[in-house]
Amino acid sequence: MGIMTEEAVRTELERLADKEEPRPMIEARGLHKQFKTPVVKEGSFAGIRTLFTREYRVKEAVKDISFTINQGDFIGYIGPNGAGKSTTIKMLTGILHPSSGEVRIGGVDPHRHRRRVVSRLGVVFGQRSQLWWDLPVKDSYEILAHMYKVGDKERDLRLGQLSELLGLGEFWTTPVRKLSLGQRMRADIAASMLHDPDVLFMDEPTIGLDVTAKRSIREFLKTLNTEFGKTILLTTHDMDDIEQLCERVMVINHGQLSYDGTIEELREKIGLPTTIRVTFADAWSIPLPAGENLRLPLEVRLPSGEAFRVVETGPDFVRVEANRQQIRAVDILREMAAWGEAADIHTEEPAFEDVIHKVY
Amino acid sequence: MSIRYWLHLYFVLIRSSIRSGMQYKMNFLLGTFLAAGIQIAEFLMIAIVLNKFGAVKGWSLYEVGYLFAVMTLSKTLYRSFANDVHHLENYLTSGDLDQLLTRPVPVLLALMSQNFRMMPGELLQGGFILTWALHGMMQAGQITWIAVPFTFLVILTGAAILFAIGLTTATAGFWLTRINELQTLTEDASQTAVRYPLVLYPVWLRSILLVVIPVGFVNYVPSLFILRGELGAWVLLGIILVAAICLFASMKFWTFGMSRYQSTGS
Repeated sequence: MGIMTEEAVRTELERLADKEEPRPMIEARGLHKQFKTPVVKEGSFAGIRTLFTREYRVKEAVKDISFTINQGDFIGYIGPNGAGKSTTIKMLTGILHPSSGEVRIGGVDPHRHRRRVVSRLGVVFGQRSQLWWDLPVKDSYEILAHMYKVGDKERDLRLGQLSELLGLGEFWTTPVRKLSLGQRMRADIAASMLHDPDVLFMDEPTIGLDVTAKRSIREFLKTLNTEFGKTILLTTHDMDDIEQLCERVMVINHGQLSYDGTIEELREKIGLPTTIRVTFADAWSIPLPAGENLRLPLEVRLPSGEAFRVVETGPDFVRVEANRQQIRAVDILREMAAWGEAADIHTEEPAFEDVIHKVY
Repeated sequence: MSIRYWLHLYFVLIRSSIRSGMQYKMNFLLGTFLAAGIQIAEFLMIAIVLNKFGAVKGWSLYEVGYLFAVMTLSKTLYRSFANDVHHLENYLTSGDLDQLLTRPVPVLLALMSQNFRMMPGELLQGGFILTWALHGMMQAGQITWIAVPFTFLVILTGAAILFAIGLTTATAGFWLTRINELQTLTEDASQTAVRYPLVLYPVWLRSILLVVIPVGFVNYVPSLFILRGELGAWVLLGIILVAAICLFASMKFWTFGMSRYQSTGS
């Protein structure tokens, strides 16, 4: 090794700073979860016989799931009901012990060191509140501050910030049971942030909310991720949540990860067609080989060999479908311009909802 | 983590639990009066029976009153400070245990501090009967003042034993989910049984109440020494030991049960 000049050291340090390795925050390796339920007997003394039965029905809720989520990632975790989403989340947060496999949150095993791990987690279950049902909202925060050992000064500072971002002021002294669903969710999210956790697990935080409430929750989550660098794992059935917030989605189905990647890649992989509808100013005609009638769907092949399909026609319009990964829209339009005088063009990307439906 | 921190947290949680309960004042007042009424009525029944027949197998009305009061006070202590251990079934069937698990607090501590119940009715009744019984026996020269501190000790160890039995029964819920009937057996029925002197029962039942469900150690065994001078002073040490063993074993079982927790579907 030679001796580095001061300048060389500096550039080396800068290089290292720029290429900061992503730090894994949530790691799952080969997670399995089986639920054993005794087979329910029928006939006389069914209850007692069930109690002493040795027969079990084994349900594999999660089968061999592995992934790594880095610090600062915003991940969408989606799947149909009963696919194993909640079970995975419960294993990640230390609620359930996996049948086999390992979980690490910031390098720590939540099953061996549950209390240490959960003190760095914020968890929101949209379906049920974490707050004290009969007490004013502010009391819940006081109790939580004690639990997570947040000092008075720190607590007041953070509650001030959260209150500003989430508008907690309007229901500060209202008992939780009297809050509207939107208010309750805001209060719950604030509660999960009080101890400034590194990782947030959001299980359906927008469930049942109206458009405005959903938007404010989304904005807040976005801020948490981009400005405060929180790692967020979001499960939801609302595909708009995923599309607007997450860089990466993981799809679980029948207990297995069926997709893990960016939203764009998912779209491409599924390859749902883009629709183009051209309205013509007057009559139009598609040049067909002699003796053939127009039969839908009709495949139109360009000289370059690329193809698209005509799927619907009307007196003054033609609707075609094409896969944007295979053919450029410009080429399609150039071809269609030859069929008549175009008055209006409308293109529609496949809805993300449909993409997801196809993955399920 | 210091004991002091956990104690402090426990009392913060208990305080909020009381404040939650006070939201429903009518319910609280009604519950208190009803509990006191029921308790008094129960003892009156025993008293009437005993008055008629004099004594049961050599146990006087005062002595039976003492057994009754110690059991009531131990139970009150256990149920006030660890109410929802008795109601773990609700947490298992509703999935509410998940929430307790996401907090950086021992689950048992979180559970114990939920729905704290003040039981002034039971406390008044137990205290009244205990005072009456002790006073009566002192007048008769059967016991001396030393019985009073001994009794307090016994109420404490009794609460610990009842808690251990309750916790063990609740832990069975991790496998059985529904534990209502089991609780009737290990808690309600057995606690009622030892309000009477154990000599009343056949040997097999006596053994069950001492070995399988050790409720006999809550009031009967210590009263043999405190009231009648039988056995010897080592009994008190023995009771402390029994309580410690019960607590330790039930905690171990609880930790094991927690690892088997299956949660519910969402």
